[in-house]
Amino acid sequence: MTLAQLKGNTKAKILDITGGKALTGRLMNMGIYKGKELLKLSHIGLRGPVVVKAGRTILALGHGIAEKIIVEA
Amino acid sequence: MLKKIYLVGNPNVGKSVVFSRLTGVHVISSNYPGSTVGFTEGFLQLGDNKVEVIDLPGLYSLDPSSGAEKVAVSLLNEHPKDEILVVNIIDSTNLERNLLLTLQLIEGGYPVVACLNMCDDAGHRGVSIDYGKLEKLLNIPVIPTCAVTGVGIKLLIERLRDTRPQLRPEPTHEERWKEIGLIIEQVQRLEHRHHTLRELLEDASVRPVTGLLMAGVVLYLSFKIVRFIGEIIIERVTDPIFSNLYQPLLERLVLGWKESSFVFHLLIGGLIDGKIDFKQSLGILTTAPYIEFGMVLPYVFSFYLILSLLEDIGYLPRLAILLDNILHRLGLHGYAVIPLMLGFGCNVPGILSTRVLESKRERFIASTLISIGIPCVPLQAMIFGLLGKFGGMYVVGVYLCLFLLIIILGLILNRLLKGYSPEFILEIPPYRFPPVTILLKKLYFRVKGFIVEAVPIVLLGVLFINILLYFNIFDLLTGFFSPIITGLFGLPKEAVVSLAVGFLRKDVAIGMLMPLGLTAKQLFIAATLLAVSFPCVATFFVLWKELGVKYLLRATFIMLTVSIIVGSLLNFLVLPPSLIFPR
Repeated sequence: MTLAQLKGNTKAKILDITGGKALTGRLMNMGIYKGKELLKLSHIGLRGPVVVKAGRTILALGHGIAEKIIVEA
Repeated sequence: MLKKIYLVGNPNVGKSVVFSRLTGVHVISSNYPGSTVGFTEGFLQLGDNKVEVIDLPGLYSLDPSSGAEKVAVSLLNEHPKDEILVVNIIDSTNLERNLLLTLQLIEGGYPVVACLNMCDDAGHRGVSIDYGKLEKLLNIPVIPTCAVTGVGIKLLIERLRDTRPQLRPEPTHEERWKEIGLIIEQVQRLEHRHHTLRELLEDASVRPVTGLLMAGVVLYLSFKIVRFIGEIIIERVTDPIFSNLYQPLLERLVLGWKESSFVFHLLIGGLIDGKIDFKQSLGILTTAPYIEFGMVLPYVFSFYLILSLLEDIGYLPRLAILLDNILHRLGLHGYAVIPLMLGFGCNVPGILSTRVLESKRERFIASTLISIGIPCVPLQAMIFGLLGKFGGMYVVGVYLCLFLLIIILGLILNRLLKGYSPEFILEIPPYRFPPVTILLKKLYFRVKGFIVEAVPIVLLGVLFINILLYFNIFDLLTGFFSPIITGLFGLPKEAVVSLAVGFLRKDVAIGMLMPLGLTAKQLFIAATLLAVSFPCVATFFVLWKELGVKYLLRATFIMLTVSIIVGSLLNFLVLPPSLIFPR
C-alpha cells in the first residue's frame, strides 16, 4: 500500500519509492529511503499533504509524493 | 593561509544566528527552512588576520541536484581547500539527519569544524550527546553551541584552526545512512519523557481538525492583536504628539507666512479653516510625516512584532501544511504561504522570498498574486484609518475582495500557464521560543528598514506631487483618464492623481484621497483599486529583477486588466446603490 493509503498514527517500513531519480534523491537527502521506518502522523483531507516522522525529523510530503512511497505497516 | 570561512548546514539549524555572532553583521533569521535565500558576507578577526565569513543558504546534501546546492558546491570549490574552512552547523536536536551533510563535507576533503547548535534545546527535549566521542568518530573538532545566547561561540572561534582535511572514500547515500546509524547509537542517548505541552501543541497543529482550529485562532488573534497594538500606539502616542506638540509648534512658526506662496504650498500645503490639518493640508511638513509616522509606522511596528513572533516560534510551516491543497489548485504548493505572509508586511520581501519555490512558473504565479491581492502594511494601515471610520464591514469587504481575487486569478493562471504545480517536501521545525532580545532586535531592524526606505521616498514624492499640483500639470492626466475613473469606477476625476501616486507609494496615494471627501463606496473602490492595480515602484523593480522583462510585462498586463474589471464590477454590480450615501 502507499503512504497516502496508510492510516494515521501508524508505523510503517518503506518498501519502495516509485518516483524518478530526482524525487528519490531529494527524499534520500532528508532521510527517507528504502528500508527506513517511519511514523505517519496525519493526512490533511482533499488530497492534502501527509505528515510523517522519520527519526527526529517531521516532514510534510505532498499528496502526489505520498502516493509514490510504498510502505508496509 | 586561511582566506574564507563558509557556514554550511541543513536549512533552519541557526546558521544565520551563528553568522551574526561571528561577524556582528545582523541578518534576519526565522524558524523555518529557507529564510536565507541569497548568501551574506561578513568578517571575523582571527588573530592578526581578517577572514571573510560567508553564510550559505541551507543544504541537505552536497549532491549538485538542485539550484541552491549547485551554487554552494561551486562556491566551496572557488578556492584551494587549504585556504578555506567549513563550519558545519548542526541542529543538536536532530543529529542523525544533519550528519549526512557532515560526512559528505569530510569526504569532500574540506577542513571541517562541527558546531552542534541549539544544544540547550536538545537538553530540554531529552537528547544527550557525547560530544567527545563524536569528535573521535568524525575526527574533527565538535563544539556544542547555543548561538541565540552566545554559549560556545568563543570556544568555536578558538578551535577553528584545529582541523585538517581528511582522506575518506565516498560511499553511496545508503552506506552513509548506515554509518550514521552506527554513530548515533554510540553518541546519542534519548531519555523517554512524558509529552510536554509544547510537544502536544506541535502535534495538534499538523492534524487536520485540531490544526485548522488552531490556524483559525492564531490568524484571528494575530489580526486582532496587530490592530489593537496599532490603535493603542496611535491613540496614546502618535496622535497626542502630532496634535499637542507638533501642530502648535508648526503653527507658531509658519502662520505668519504668506499662504499663497510657492514655498508655503510645498512645505505646509493648504490651510483648512485657517489651521493646519494633517489629513488634508498635503505638505512636506504636515501630511507627509503624519501619514508615515502617525498612521503607518504604528502598524508597521505591531505587524512585524506579531509576524516575527510567528516566524521564530515556527508556526508558519504548519500553516503551509493546512493550506497546501488550496494553494495546489492555484498552481502553488503549501510553502507559498511564506512569501504570501511576508508580502503582507511589504510586497518586496514577499516577492524576494518566492525563491523558496522551485519553478519559474510558481514564482511568476506567486509574485503576481502577491502584487495584486496582498496589501502591504502601509496600505492596510491607511485603509484601517480611512475606511474604518465608515464601519468594520467595509474593511472586511476589501480583504474579502482581495481574497476572492487571489483564488480566481490563481485558478485561471494555473489553467492557462504551461506546466504543473509541483509537490512539496517540507521539514516542519519544532516550536522554539527564542529570547526576547533576539525578537526585539529583529523588530528593530525591520522597523528601521521601513523608516530608512519609506521616509525619503515619501518626502520626495510629496514634494514632487506638490510641484505638479502647483503648476496644474495633473490636469492633463485628469482630463485624459476621467472617462475611466468617473465613468467606470464612479470616482471623482481628482482621484486620478491618487491612483497615479500609487505607483510611488500606496500609503501616500490613499492619503491623497483624504481631502476629496469620498463616500464609503468610493473609498472602498479606490482602496481596492490601489491594492490591485500597478505595484509601487519598489515592488515594480523587484518584479523586474526577479522575473525578467517578459514576465514583468505579463504581470503588469494582468494587473491593469484586473483593475479595470474589478473597479467596474464593484461600481456597477457588487455594491448596492443604497450604500452609496450611507452618511
